[in-house]
Amino acid sequence: MIERKLVRPESLTEALGQREQYQKDALPIAGGQSLLVLLRNKLIDPKVLIDLERVGELRSAERKADGMIIGAMNTIYNLMSSSEVRAAAPILSQAASKVGSTAIRNLGTIGGNLCHNEPGADLPPALLALNAVVELRSKKGTRKVPLGEFFRGYFETVVAPDEILCKVEIPQLPAKASGVYLKHAISSEDLAIAGAAVVLVLDGQQAGKAQEVRIGLGGVAPAPFRASKAESALRGAALTDAAIREAAEIASAEADPMTDPHGSADYRRKMVKVMVRRAISAAIEQSERNGNGKA
Amino acid sequence: MAKLKLQINGEETETDAKETALLLDVLRENLGMTGTKRGCETSHCGACTVMLDGMAVHSCVVLAGRCEGKEITTVEGLGEGGELNDLQRQFLKHGGVQCGYCTPGMLMAATALLRRNPRPSLEEIKIGLDGNLCRCTGYTGIFDAIQACAQGK
Repeated sequence: MIERKLVRPESLTEALGQREQYQKDALPIAGGQSLLVLLRNKLIDPKVLIDLERVGELRSAERKADGMIIGAMNTIYNLMSSSEVRAAAPILSQAASKVGSTAIRNLGTIGGNLCHNEPGADLPPALLALNAVVELRSKKGTRKVPLGEFFRGYFETVVAPDEILCKVEIPQLPAKASGVYLKHAISSEDLAIAGAAVVLVLDGQQAGKAQEVRIGLGGVAPAPFRASKAESALRGAALTDAAIREAAEIASAEADPMTDPHGSADYRRKMVKVMVRRAISAAIEQSERNGNGKA
Repeated sequence: MAKLKLQINGEETETDAKETALLLDVLRENLGMTGTKRGCETSHCGACTVMLDGMAVHSCVVLAGRCEGKEITTVEGLGEGGELNDLQRQFLKHGGVQCGYCTPGMLMAATALLRRNPRPSLEEIKIGLDGNLCRCTGYTGIFDAIQACAQGK
């Protein structure tokens, strides 16, 4: 039996060199909160683990004029407790606070959460609604991928065997945006049966109308996605109860859920309707409450 | 192969365990420290909770190799001079223990919580212990014990 090896690069250059060298024989390990469960259950069997913990470049988090850049190794706990994240993207802090449990949030990371792409993860819907872009690097170069093009299917992403997800860029939100992430799960530490993130910008000129609506959904399709048809139905429309219900119906039709022990496909589809309706209503309330509420 | 050096409960410990081993296995199998319990092994139940540099973590999802240079605290490190500490005594006093299997994890999660937030509200206690399941006595006694400890009663 070949013994599994742990390599602990001290810099991004070193880590990318190891990615290049080992390719599919290696997996990067971020917080390890999901990967080590797969490993123990023998669902994966990498010959090498590339530990990203010591790669300082992946730990940065900066607020910029045009948004925020979050290094992939920032923990979920950082996201929920950082005053900068809370100010720039409260919906991300809110989604982070719903991830797993305290112990998981302490070690789990934003980069690991995205690359693992487990159905029902809480960060993807929120980051989709924030129009996040991820930076992938390899020895050959750097590419930026909008999150909407990042997820491929159950546990699959576009990350190539020689790449590392380094950063998540979150564009500055419109001044009057509000944002809500709602999670439906049986127990708080579970993955979402249906998770809905809504970013809403009310029309400054016409009261009760939506200038922009973004709806990110998780747990209800092979990959997290934006309910773009439901968004179109609401864009520029008066936000009446009937219009919100109609948009929720459309979002439910856009979902493509599967049955698992936590809920049937049919049940998940119904829950999309409920969560989307509630999230939009909560986002409207938030906008009205703070006048200039931010997502 | 170089030995793995771990700092556990204030003492330097050496073991032949591999750095790709899981901390839970190293504690229990290599070091015989069976206070830390083996539960679900999927990071759901919290029976294996220990503190890593003062933070609650589930030792079933921590690589032993990553713990080098960090301070590990297990339930064996809580007592002072052979006596139970205040939190442990409060668990007894408030009936926060029934079968006892979840107790080491509960104690470690609560200890980490009180380090981060010395005066937690009931809601904050519930969030702090959201990674720890008790299947027999329920949580009221446990919450009471933590509150009593925080209030110095």
